[in-house]
Amino acid sequence: MASFLPDLEPGPEMSPEFERKKRRKTEGNPSSFHPTQGNRRIKQWRTQREQRIYSSNLIESLRRSPTATGNYVRDMAYRFLAVSAKGTTRWSRAILLGRLAAGAKMRKHKRAKVGANRKLRKPVSNIQKRKLPAVERKLKTLGRLVPGCRKLPLANLLEEASDYIAALEMQVRSMTAISEFLASGGAQPPAGRLVNS
Amino acid sequence: MSSRGLRSRQSSGVSRIRDDQITDLVSKLQLLIPQLRRGRSHKVSASKVLQETRNYIRSLHREVEDLSHRLSELLASTDIDNDQAAIIRSLLM
Repeated sequence: MASFLPDLEPGPEMSPEFERKKRRKTEGNPSSFHPTQGNRRIKQWRTQREQRIYSSNLIESLRRSPTATGNYVRDMAYRFLAVSAKGTTRWSRAILLGRLAAGAKMRKHKRAKVGANRKLRKPVSNIQKRKLPAVERKLKTLGRLVPGCRKLPLANLLEEASDYIAALEMQVRSMTAISEFLASGGAQPPAGRLVNS
Repeated sequence: MSSRGLRSRQSSGVSRIRDDQITDLVSKLQLLIPQLRRGRSHKVSASKVLQETRNYIRSLHREVEDLSHRLSELLASTDIDNDQAAIIRSLLM
């Protein structure tokens, strides 16, 4: 079983009013990333409220499609996750626009990029030469993992990645709680997980 | 698109700014990765943080995959009827 960041304490700091104000602020500029805004978004992923809303949506859609395959569940899970982000982040918008489309684009881009990289790395100064390529390489692979973020500049990519990670963690917590509930036959509520995580 | 890419900004002046940005943002990212938060918090290189971030995201993806399949199996065996949905919702809200 995975451990879900036992150090973090979600919930008490977020009153509904504060969350509403926060949402209005973050919906303004999707492409500008201020550290404080990013932190606020990340904290929101860790609130009970966010997890409840997400879980509730997911359960409803699962109830309506009892013959759902694993892939269908996964797609639904990601779609609802992206919806929860309310269009404030690039990765969520990318998911909503369609994961299949992103997959097809990725194959085209991979071929085009390899040549371009090698040419453009040459002008970099000698001191930076050793350092940049390794970090850049890793940034690029990271960019491939976060939906819609392959061509993002450094600062935005790391912001997106942070938010994406927080969202994924919530998703895992939620889906684990739901599956535990279902596994127990639905009769007994699982102790703690749904409410306290 | 090219105006936003890393490659189009490669000059020594901008690289220095990016280094500071890198270390700052990477240290923030470090706080999010469970493996890196415990213990050796100040000795981790940017490269290592990025690598661990990558691994962590991948492991989260895998978990979601596994959970999705598990949920679909559970759904097949235990239909969520209206009562159960209500229970779940009351627990959640």
